[in-house]
Amino acid sequence: MSQLPHWDAATAGVVEARLGPPPAPRFFSPAEEATATALLDLLLGQDEEPRIPVTATIDARLAEAQTDGWRYADMPEDGQAWRDTLAYLDADAEVKYGAGFAECPAADQRALIQAVQDLGSGDWHGLPASRVWSLWTRYACTAFYAHPWAWNEIGFPGPAYPRGYKNKGVGRREPFEVPDGRPADDPVREGA
Amino acid sequence: MSSQVRHRNESAWLLPGDGTRTNHRLRRDMRRFADTDEIDLVIVGCGAGGSVLLQRLARAGWRVAALEAGPFWDPDTDWFSDEAASHHLYWTEPRVITGATPVPLGSNNSGRGVGGSMVHYAGYTPRFHPSDFATFSQDGVGADWPLSYGDLLPYYQAIEEELPVAGEHWPWGDPHGYPHRPHPVGGNGEVFLRGARKLGITAKVGPVAIPNGRFGNRPHCIYRGFCLQGCKVNAKASPLISHIPDALAHGGEVRADAMVTRIAVDERTGRATGVHYVRGGRERFQRARMVAVAGYSIETPRLLLNSSSSRFPDGLGNDFDQVGRYLMVQGAPQTAGRFDDEIRMYKAPPPEVSSEDFYETSPARPYQRGFSIQNVSPLPITWAEHVAAQGHWGRTLRDYMSDYVHWCCLGALCEFLPQADNRITLDEETDRYGLPVARFSYSQCDNDTQLLHAAQRVMEDILHAAGADEVITIQRFAHLVGGARMAADERHGVVDGTCRSFAVPNLYITDGSVLPTQGSANPALTIMAVAARAAGLLRAGARGGPS
Repeated sequence: MSQLPHWDAATAGVVEARLGPPPAPRFFSPAEEATATALLDLLLGQDEEPRIPVTATIDARLAEAQTDGWRYADMPEDGQAWRDTLAYLDADAEVKYGAGFAECPAADQRALIQAVQDLGSGDWHGLPASRVWSLWTRYACTAFYAHPWAWNEIGFPGPAYPRGYKNKGVGRREPFEVPDGRPADDPVREGA
Repeated sequence: MSSQVRHRNESAWLLPGDGTRTNHRLRRDMRRFADTDEIDLVIVGCGAGGSVLLQRLARAGWRVAALEAGPFWDPDTDWFSDEAASHHLYWTEPRVITGATPVPLGSNNSGRGVGGSMVHYAGYTPRFHPSDFATFSQDGVGADWPLSYGDLLPYYQAIEEELPVAGEHWPWGDPHGYPHRPHPVGGNGEVFLRGARKLGITAKVGPVAIPNGRFGNRPHCIYRGFCLQGCKVNAKASPLISHIPDALAHGGEVRADAMVTRIAVDERTGRATGVHYVRGGRERFQRARMVAVAGYSIETPRLLLNSSSSRFPDGLGNDFDQVGRYLMVQGAPQTAGRFDDEIRMYKAPPPEVSSEDFYETSPARPYQRGFSIQNVSPLPITWAEHVAAQGHWGRTLRDYMSDYVHWCCLGALCEFLPQADNRITLDEETDRYGLPVARFSYSQCDNDTQLLHAAQRVMEDILHAAGADEVITIQRFAHLVGGARMAADERHGVVDGTCRSFAVPNLYITDGSVLPTQGSANPALTIMAVAARAAGLLRAGARGGPS
């Protein structure tokens, strides 16, 4: 955020707002909020403070019905799909572990959502599991990778107006860009 | 050359040269017609097709207004150099998608507001190839257009000068040059050029609708990489800056925030009389001697279907069940490669380098038609979709994402074939105006799927040849065309080669929905050229069209 003085006022405003206190929940019930937070923490690997307030961001989006402009014919609209699928997660947790999803240990939570992913395009409580998975990850990643902390983690400098870039090309950096701190750490290479 | 352009389209010179992006005086002083004025032409939609039509006919002295459902943007205050904050650039009214391979809408292919989806397109503006206009007679697939490449050529050239387009000499299709020199490339483009060279694939820089140098009062591109979030620089062309200023200066009206709900037709004469629209919650009616619809491939068919009457019980101009059919998308898999070097693909405009080596049908390949390959440069949220599409989540997702600066990305555009059952119908669900929303059914055919696999293989080969140690692919779609196509007669399409409706003599459709085929080219330039040609023919005829 040290680069904020270099951004245009309109953009600086929307980015800075993400660092302030998130809006109070309006869409999720307290029980849904708890289940959603447990799910989103797992999907995004957020296991320690400070956390990016992903649940609050998604709650605000759903409260404003800010959808992507389409829904699958075999899925409810996004807000209802979130409510339904959080309830199904709780139901699965009750059946398998005798507790609500949010009350289960992380390993059990992980097993429950892995089971949903493993269904692929199969049926999960009457919904195509792959479309449920896509709904969760789409909202989760949009909320998480909009946040400047996440940009820092991946080496993205954020807004670039009106400054722009002067040094483009393989291996070239601007004075304000930081080299990869662990260049040898390649997550896709065998044994890395 | 730019002085010649200025003589016929002064838009770039009507923008402010003081570092702000909007000529507020031009908008304040804009001519405003009354609903009760019977204007010469009312246009529905102010994107690629509607804006060009408005500019051309305003210049010819027509009394013409364009009604746009979305806002009249000011890039300074309304657009952000940020992915998540750009959601308002997309058409996000409800729509239902279905079929064997449903196509997500919204951010990727639907715009709202003055400028349409060209506000958030990447900026690639290739021409179609001559073969695209006769795929049925040449390849036995798709359809023949009721016009030829040669009919469109002068309009391609005119629009390329007005945007203007920058790129290397183009060796494919009908070989041609561009008015502006190619831009320098970033890391993403370098990798593409390097890999292609090793494999003997021809790749060229361009064509992009971003002037290389100043153009009128439009400044040079600053290579900030946010083309898809609306260009705050006024460098990347959209109709908001390439055609609307000139239209306003010549007496055209843009009526923003006006949602057209129905086209009115006189039951006795069978002619269109104007459009019903809602603005600020009030229902209004604009009278006009002619109506042109330019709402793009989803909203144009939806409006026709929602404009049924006793004369047209199944939708306006739908006597032969053609409205909404043959809607096309391009298969657009994107393949990314990981390099030890830092690529930083977010720097430089996403549109950089293209190859059209695989565009046409070849006897050496088992499928008909083909694909093109271009650079794409996903920003973090979009990049997360690529990584999540591999099934990664949790810590693995975060670890992959942390390597963002090492990845380079290519995208293919595969020419999916037009099929009658890929279409828009009306759903039971209604929107806030009480109108049925569009239901879009889409299913790929075998040829489509073969193209996807072939394109992915070529992209993987290019990235490996350039030195990638790992490649990942995400399956997606891009662009929309068709849905109200032009044809030789009313049993095969909705409009004729001049964009005039077969059923209603003073109703025109001037947007991407009239395209009978799509090639593997991004459609913006062709949509503008088709609208410019329709405008030219209207201008040459009597004002108000044939009686």
